[in-house]
Amino acid sequence: AEEDFSWFDLTEIELLRVKCLPHTLDVLRASSLYTPFHIQLSHKTQRARAHRRFIELLPPESRNVEDSLRVRVSTEQILTLPELKANPFRERICRVFSTAPERDSLSFEDFLDLFSVFSDAATPEIKSHYAFRIFDFDDDGTLNKEDLKCLVNCLTGDGQDTQLTSSEMKQLIENILEESDIDRDGTINLSEFQHVISRSPDFTSSFKIVL
Amino acid sequence: MSSFLSGQRSTQSDPEPLEFLSPGEVLWEEEMERLCNSKVPLQALPYAMMDKRLIRHLRKPDGIKISFGEQWKKKWQQVHQHFLDLGHRLMGIFGLWKTDLYEIGAYPCSSSHEPQPGLNQIHLHLWDIFTGRAFINTYLFYGSYRMGPESDSQYSIRLAYLLSPLTCLLLCFYGTVRRMVKGLLHKQLLGKDYRPRLSSKVFVSWDFCIRNREAAIIKQHSNSNEFKIELQEEQRALQIQQQTGKQRARQLLSYVGLNMCIGLLVVGGISAIYWATKFSQNYKDESLSLLLQYLSPGVISLVNSLGPLVFGFLVKLENYPPNTEINLTLFWCVVLKLSSLGMFLFSLRQQTMQCPGRNDHSSCEPHDYNPCNQCWENLVGQELYKLSIFDFFLMLAFAFLITLPRRLLVDNLSGQFWLWLGREEFLVPKNVLDIVAGQTVTWMGLFYCPLLPLLSSIFIFFTFYVKKYTLLRNCRPSPRLFQASSATFFFQLVLLLGLLVATVPLLYVISSHSSENCGLFSNYSAPWQVVPEALAMRLSPPALKVFHYFGSNAFWYPILILLSLALTACLSQSGANKRAIKGLRRQLQWQVREKWHLVEDLSRLLQESGGSDSWGPESLSSRPSRPRSFCPGFPCPGSPKPRSFMAGSTHSQEVYGIPTPFGEETT
Repeated sequence: AEEDFSWFDLTEIELLRVKCLPHTLDVLRASSLYTPFHIQLSHKTQRARAHRRFIELLPPESRNVEDSLRVRVSTEQILTLPELKANPFRERICRVFSTAPERDSLSFEDFLDLFSVFSDAATPEIKSHYAFRIFDFDDDGTLNKEDLKCLVNCLTGDGQDTQLTSSEMKQLIENILEESDIDRDGTINLSEFQHVISRSPDFTSSFKIVL
Repeated sequence: MSSFLSGQRSTQSDPEPLEFLSPGEVLWEEEMERLCNSKVPLQALPYAMMDKRLIRHLRKPDGIKISFGEQWKKKWQQVHQHFLDLGHRLMGIFGLWKTDLYEIGAYPCSSSHEPQPGLNQIHLHLWDIFTGRAFINTYLFYGSYRMGPESDSQYSIRLAYLLSPLTCLLLCFYGTVRRMVKGLLHKQLLGKDYRPRLSSKVFVSWDFCIRNREAAIIKQHSNSNEFKIELQEEQRALQIQQQTGKQRARQLLSYVGLNMCIGLLVVGGISAIYWATKFSQNYKDESLSLLLQYLSPGVISLVNSLGPLVFGFLVKLENYPPNTEINLTLFWCVVLKLSSLGMFLFSLRQQTMQCPGRNDHSSCEPHDYNPCNQCWENLVGQELYKLSIFDFFLMLAFAFLITLPRRLLVDNLSGQFWLWLGREEFLVPKNVLDIVAGQTVTWMGLFYCPLLPLLSSIFIFFTFYVKKYTLLRNCRPSPRLFQASSATFFFQLVLLLGLLVATVPLLYVISSHSSENCGLFSNYSAPWQVVPEALAMRLSPPALKVFHYFGSNAFWYPILILLSLALTACLSQSGANKRAIKGLRRQLQWQVREKWHLVEDLSRLLQESGGSDSWGPESLSSRPSRPRSFCPGFPCPGSPKPRSFMAGSTHSQEVYGIPTPFGEETT
């Protein structure tokens, strides 16, 4: 069955640079009718750049166009990227964007998803949605106290002097819940999270990764 | 999701009637229908690409031909998007310093003794440039603009000269207010003390652009500090609330006392500026030494550098919470800066108006420093020009003669003293205030020194690169995090105040007496008189009548009344909105509480009636694993739903895990 290449809207020059088979070239050209999904990474050079970075993570024998669209890269490989190396949320990011059943590998589409959500052109709604999923450490759809605890620990680091004491942590989490939990059920759901984020103009500029 | 959903669809050969589906599946079907029928474009959906492909397939299955109209619309959208991208890229090229600002943000952030005969000339030229005398006959200053009597030609230079500063100030006012309002709309509901709320600080505090391990560690340290400080402040606030009346009175008294003390210091500083200006103007023609020429700008800079140090020291003595300390110090620094500029202008004007003991009304000659000459506008222009130049060179001197050597010494020498000294800390508020003060000086000089903005633009351009170099190479980051968004509003407010400080004297000058011997308005009693005269020459009588009406009371009083009515309506509407929000919040809380009571009742009933393991209390603790669906919680983002309903499980039975939200209290 033919894969749907509709998102892969490269120019001729870029195709030639990427060195793919004539058959694939025809397929890619024929698919230019469809609007790409990723208007966020709308500029073709940005997508081509993402493709180049992705291909570098693949083993040498699969560094061609057809394989790169099929093959998945394991999380360990993705974590070696310089953009993610220093990020305390890197494992969560990989987990959230992965569509594999075990959530341990990313395909090129997932990779593209990742960078398009973190790009400048993604809307604040999409960013806040994915931020919520990244901060939801136990994947249950809400931010409860343990999630918030993990979040604060990620933010302050593991050092002895930077970690908050347990009483400080308790006070901080109570504060957060008091300010954000509108329906007082002890957890922050997506709407409440988006409500808090919408009031904060710094969010879009901080939730950004540039390739 | 597509893998999961295709699995589900393969088990259902034909769609079953709704009542045979489990509640989870019913919700799922409803959600899929909602997604398919909604008009939200695919790019705006927060799902993975294969899910979006599925949704697109469901919305428009294969085989349906795309109509010609839709094809054309798609093509048009593509072209439109292409143009927008091109436009954005072009704007990016013209956007000054965009990459530099990104780089800064992502970074955690320096004549001979006997004058030779040949050098004398150069010395004199330099001297003339620095005092502005070289430019006195050029268009840099007010005095050299001359023109004959008004004619009714199309272009009146007088009108242009008068209206340009006013228009410029009006445009700046509009631009600043617009940016302030934009920032205000996004602003969160501020807690007490007008600080951003802690929850949004927590969620927004990690900068995902950080790539460097060291920068990440620094960021983590600063986050930790920030949280600890906020928590301490809150503890203090709680303690303060529990104080007795007597303690509170004592606190208030000491607060007022501190403010009065600082206020007196500010008044002292300002009077120093007044006397310095008076002194330098009185003895200006007697000796042309550098010190006297630049005495006023020097005193202003001295007062503005010592002031913050003294204020900071005094405020620290009182042991206030850190935020209050910073706010208080910042407030008084701003007051000092703006009032010193205002006093400078005022004292200049005083000096040029009073002519003690000199009564000759000689005409305005170049190189004539008679303080009683009638061309006082030139004088004021010169002083503002000197102030501008002095600020710029002082900034350069600090950057290259103090910060750079300090960094070199600290990095290369070892010793207790150098370790303690450390690199200079880059204080954002101080630098921003300096820029605001420079801008205020430029605004003040618009009328007297028309080319001053050009000079300021050049200075600002170079200032940026010097500051960038200083920040990235010679400074260390401040340990205290600087909250950009709330501070931006404050600094825009200060900019607006500076605009006010610059506008009020200008309005006064325009409507009052002007020099008789130089400039464009020498034949008028006040510069503003040009406007009625120019209008009278150019417009027909009915048009003139209309203009008179616009300037009269009969027009402005009704406008004022209408504006007050509109303001009252807006305020009452916002009050009503606030009450509505409160009511809705209460309602939401009751409903959610009611829902959880019902769920508890249900689980109790099931426990009593069923007795099978699936419903037992152990299901409360075990969180059954769900196939990872594509969205958090079920079934779709945006709607608050109870947790743990499963999206059509692969288990044979439905297992409802019902942990209560108040899980800690009920086991």
